[in-house]
Amino acid sequence: MNMDVTVASLPRLNEKYSMFSRISDDIGTADFKFLFSAKDNLTSKDMETRCGSRILEGYRPAFDATAIEKMRISGGKLIGKNNMDEFGFGTFSTNSAFGIPRNPFDPERSCGGSSGGSACAAAVIEDHVSLGVSTGGSICCPASFCGVYGLAPTYGRVSRYGLIDYGNSLDKIGLISSDPGRLSEFLPVISGKDRKDPTSCAQPDLNLTGKKIKTVAVPREALEGVSGDVLSAFESSLETLRGMDIDVKMMDMPFLRYAMPAYYILATSEASTNLARYVGMRYGRQDGDLTLKFDDYFTSFRSEYFGDEAKRRILLGTYTRMAGFRDRYYAKALKVRLHIISSYKKVFEDHDAVLTPTMPFVAPRFDDISEMTPVESYSADYLTVPPNLAGMPHLSVPCGYDAEGMPVGMQFVTDHWDEDPLLTFAKDWGCAFETRRAEVLL
Amino acid sequence: MKIGLEVHVQLPTLSKMFCSCPTTDADTPNTHVCPTCLGMPGSRPVMNRKAMEYGIMLAKMLDCRIADTVWFSRKTYFYPDMSKSVQITQYDNPVGSGGVYRLNGNKPIGITRIHLEEDPGKTKRVGDQSSLVDYNRSGIPLAEIVTEPDLSTPAEAREFLKQLIADIRHTIDLPDDGERSIRCDCNISVGKERCEVKNVTGLRNVERALTFEAVRQTKVLKAGGKIERETRRFDEERGVTVSVRKKEFEADYGYIDEPDLGIFRIGELARSISIKESPLGMTVRLVREYGIDEKTAKQMVSTSVDLAKTFEKIVSATGSTQTAVSWTVGAISANWKTFEAAGGDTDGIIDIMKRFGGGGMTDVEAGIELKAYMTGTDIQTVRDSDSGLDEIIDSYLDAHPEMIFEIRKNDKAVNRIIGHVMKETGGRYPSSDIVSSTMKIVNSKI
Amino acid sequence: MDRETVERVAKTAHLALSEDELDRYSRDLGEILDYFRILDESPEGDGFGVDPVEIADVMREDVPGIFIDPYELLKDMKTYDNYVRGPKLL
Repeated sequence: MNMDVTVASLPRLNEKYSMFSRISDDIGTADFKFLFSAKDNLTSKDMETRCGSRILEGYRPAFDATAIEKMRISGGKLIGKNNMDEFGFGTFSTNSAFGIPRNPFDPERSCGGSSGGSACAAAVIEDHVSLGVSTGGSICCPASFCGVYGLAPTYGRVSRYGLIDYGNSLDKIGLISSDPGRLSEFLPVISGKDRKDPTSCAQPDLNLTGKKIKTVAVPREALEGVSGDVLSAFESSLETLRGMDIDVKMMDMPFLRYAMPAYYILATSEASTNLARYVGMRYGRQDGDLTLKFDDYFTSFRSEYFGDEAKRRILLGTYTRMAGFRDRYYAKALKVRLHIISSYKKVFEDHDAVLTPTMPFVAPRFDDISEMTPVESYSADYLTVPPNLAGMPHLSVPCGYDAEGMPVGMQFVTDHWDEDPLLTFAKDWGCAFETRRAEVLL
Repeated sequence: MKIGLEVHVQLPTLSKMFCSCPTTDADTPNTHVCPTCLGMPGSRPVMNRKAMEYGIMLAKMLDCRIADTVWFSRKTYFYPDMSKSVQITQYDNPVGSGGVYRLNGNKPIGITRIHLEEDPGKTKRVGDQSSLVDYNRSGIPLAEIVTEPDLSTPAEAREFLKQLIADIRHTIDLPDDGERSIRCDCNISVGKERCEVKNVTGLRNVERALTFEAVRQTKVLKAGGKIERETRRFDEERGVTVSVRKKEFEADYGYIDEPDLGIFRIGELARSISIKESPLGMTVRLVREYGIDEKTAKQMVSTSVDLAKTFEKIVSATGSTQTAVSWTVGAISANWKTFEAAGGDTDGIIDIMKRFGGGGMTDVEAGIELKAYMTGTDIQTVRDSDSGLDEIIDSYLDAHPEMIFEIRKNDKAVNRIIGHVMKETGGRYPSSDIVSSTMKIVNSKI
Repeated sequence: MDRETVERVAKTAHLALSEDELDRYSRDLGEILDYFRILDESPEGDGFGVDPVEIADVMREDVPGIFIDPYELLKDMKTYDNYVRGPKLL
């Protein structure tokens, strides 16, 4: 499709799907080679960046995130900023202050989160690639729910300069697209060492040589608690894999069960320090009464403009790092993460990848989401959290549809820096599996 | 009484600790700022290598154990001058720990730790009760040196700080622009509980604040009261400390690791860094190595470390410590300022002393040559102006032989000779010449 | 988590909670902490846990420079005489 037509259709698409929190005012496409969108926690010079939060209303960054800058340099036009859960806090993108993205396969259902807007854009807009960010599975989850491909690379592969932090030791910038070829096309574009982000400077070169996945390990633990629809789609995919000469083995991976609590402790501990800077000064909303004592001024702002889930995670993270509790929670979680990393590495001695369904169920309905307790919704991430906690690259590919036509995804995890076989697999799978496009009716 | 200090030293880097903003003073507020030191969402810190090196140098100076691997932590607290509401500092794993620093070369003062951290911005109050913030200072690298509560009086704390600052300046070439760049938190307890007086600047104020606190705490205890653990502030104008807030409990800071900077394996770097000998260390070594008395050693080092080095070279050139001492504290000291200001080369001094030591010239000749060389005057002029001075001193000493004994007991007695000669010569000789000739002659007799 | 603890944590985090929020968060956080208990039985790994991959010795040289116009950074801030305006101090 012509890029001008796409850009012209964005306002109407957004009215229906709420995948953008901002659409670029500039509608010209003549100077560009391709269109892309970016999650709204990546700073952009030309568009307000709000992270799904009211507290950041009015933040106009003076600098582009490195990933956005690199996409622009390769000829990309940033068409909009993708809607998201506030600061990345959520699994369903229902925690945004600026509308809720709607699933392209059923608008009464969630796109997943927290990069819900990015996955929705990738599913709905022709020939599109979007930048997502994953802290505990926020790329794979929405990719799975929206029936597209999502890649969260190794921690540090893509510079986080310009990323508004959730959990600094977890956050990874990645790609979402309905076309698996786009992942291999753009990962080399956005990755690489960046002097502005020290954590990007430890990476070995990204060499895409077409290395294939030959053996995968499926953890038995992962299949407990997975819904029937997902399980049957997953099992039939295993058959397809065997047909592609991939050796599939079932295994016990008891270490996976410790990932969820370790993740939530580290993520919220870090998040609560990152969010401490939002006090109604310097950027975002600043319209309070400055004659208040600073403690009261800060408190009133934070209480008014942070959403419910943000407050919950700030409280949790503040608690888990407090003296007296720090050793039991924060310090323990760091050591558990080390155990999980070394356990994964042992698996990778004999297997090229670990394979699980991406999510334990298909995209849920908004009514069902509102009934969930926090623990229930946190638990939905139990398959995407372990690789994210360990800093390993992970890829979600569509692998089937349930009786109502909702997409199911499966997730491959490889060792640190080993994105090559994931990208090769994505392309091969694109040929072997027939992906359905959502019907977009305007 | 127990006193412990937390000394904050601004490190003399050209750029800030985690961003490249300049550290120089700016005329306008918020002009040496960037997204990082303003804590803007999306910004990130990058470690300044030089700040790490300075930290290691100071850790070495304080005889600390230097960790092989260090990293940074986030200390969370809310204040308008702290742009991220998080200060990047070191918690579990400081650059150095367990050091000892000797006060006057004797009393050991324990150094708990030395760590690196970033300075916050500066606030000021305005009429309508709100505040104004300048973030130019935000992100300037600081080393924080924490002592054990080993100091016993406010005067001793001042003495300690004076010596420490001199050593720090020397070790990391900290410019001597007053004491502004060094701030101090003072912990003091007369009884069991301690109070902290935050952010005191200047040696005199440290002593004043501590003295006030000591008296205040003693009064409270005598009246049967209890000292409450709290943070206080020193009011420089009134000379009193005032309560600021109840001590925040450590829990509030909720330290966690700083993932954005990674870790630093500084073992190798630390081994590759050697530091200049500190003035105090040099004094102690001179006493030990040459058997000279502490006063003389201190006098030489405090005049200039280079003067003390010249002394050492003269010892090795002449083979006589006695000769080296008397010439160094005599004629060489007297002309040192002029010599140093002109950027002179000490090789010439050594050369003269070598010839003197070899018996090639007399005391008087050597004195004249030294003065001529060090002040850049020709020998004849010096000879003319100098003639007679030594005779006047000699004849005074001949007439007052008891002076030598008095000087042995109390070296200040030498001032009586100097005073006499000045009066007698009535301004014919520059006072530096009188001092140097007197010292030289006196030293040859005692 | 009991309400007193939630209140204390909220104060540290500079959040004011309504009665309703206090009830809700103490229930939620209690459930979450229960869920974390499983962590006690987890084995622990060795090493430094700062990042999931090792990032060591990344430093920049001490060269000063300003790359973004400070006035551009201040454009959306509340300022007075180029100072950033803030609330009342202690």
